[in-house]
Amino acid sequence: MTTTAPKAISPVRIDGRRLRSARTRQIIIEAYLLLLRESPQIPTAAAIATRAGYSIRSVFERFPDLHSLRIAATDHAMLQAADSVAERPPHGDRAARLRIHVEMRGRVCEEWLPLWRALNANQGDSVELKARIHQIRELVIRRMEAMYEPELSTLDAVERRQTILAIEALIDFESWARMREFFGQSFEEACAIWILAIDRLLPPTPAVS
Amino acid sequence: MSDTSIKKPMRIDGRRLRSERTKQLIIEAYLALADAFSPRVPTAAEIAEKAGYSVRSVFERFPDILTLQIAAVDYAMAQVTALAPPNELEGDRAMRIRSQVRARAQVCERWLPLWRSLIVNQGNSEELKDRIRGSRERVMGRLEAMYQPELETVAEGERRQLVIALEALTDVESWARMREFFDLSFDEACLAWIQAIDRLLPRSATDP
Repeated sequence: MTTTAPKAISPVRIDGRRLRSARTRQIIIEAYLLLLRESPQIPTAAAIATRAGYSIRSVFERFPDLHSLRIAATDHAMLQAADSVAERPPHGDRAARLRIHVEMRGRVCEEWLPLWRALNANQGDSVELKARIHQIRELVIRRMEAMYEPELSTLDAVERRQTILAIEALIDFESWARMREFFGQSFEEACAIWILAIDRLLPPTPAVS
Repeated sequence: MSDTSIKKPMRIDGRRLRSERTKQLIIEAYLALADAFSPRVPTAAEIAEKAGYSVRSVFERFPDILTLQIAAVDYAMAQVTALAPPNELEGDRAMRIRSQVRARAQVCERWLPLWRSLIVNQGNSEELKDRIRGSRERVMGRLEAMYQPELETVAEGERRQLVIALEALTDVESWARMREFFDLSFDEACLAWIQAIDRLLPRSATDP
């Protein structure tokens, strides 16, 4: 009798601890992202701990170093961005697809630019961060290919690649940042520039047979 | 009396010349190291060693590394301007696109590491931010001049949109991605830009 009680309670206790630990981890990641949005300076462990409401020790219990935290924050951001993008699948005529693609890309740039900058500034020799940068670029290209497949399918391999490269350059995070910060464009004005440019870069939409 | 008055200015000139030469060598050492270490800023000790002077000599010419960075950026930008091919504003559309793309590509190829270092290390320096702004404005000015026949066919608003898009397309990092990420050769990358610019630009009255 005395041995059965702890067995029944034990799994519940472990789950509760795990949940709390996962929640703490999540709060630390969010604190890191909030600090990045507030200032381009890379947040210190002390600042992250204060913002999250935990001790520095708690931060380092979840993440052995700030590099691991950066990787976790990037993975979190990639999941969030992928979820948002999945809500707006390619749909409609050329104009509708251009709008869907550009507005979503604009929102992703607006939301994740500080993290993107931190990622690039801190990649150094980190294979993990480089792999994530690579993966993000691949995702952007795949999305672009899905959105404009009707138009891209009319091009030969070389022209298709050149068109993709040009659109990729155009819709880069830093291109968005320049439109907003350097050229003083509003969100809608910046979207209008991308729509105009992508529309010109793409070949005519083939007629539906 | 007359001897001294003749020799004195020559001595001062010689000293000034040597000091200017030292300053120039330090700038060149900084540029070489910034290129090699980009985006990390080289330390004063590394710069001094590369230039063949003492750290003290470096700080006699430049009170801090930021001042040296600014001087190096000014020197690099002067080089870009001096080495730029003459504007082929008179050529036809294809010729102007080719000329602008090759000139821009050469600048990107040569100055990419320094540009990255500048972007990463600008921090709160207004002087460095001014240089970045100035460089972008010069690129925009050149784009507007090169493609004036095409751009003047559209209304002011659309013209501005196209110049912003052209600037994004021909950004230093866009070049870097074509070369490093997509693994294109210099000529292949130029072709990608040529094709894209040709599509972006409207037809001018003189285009066939």
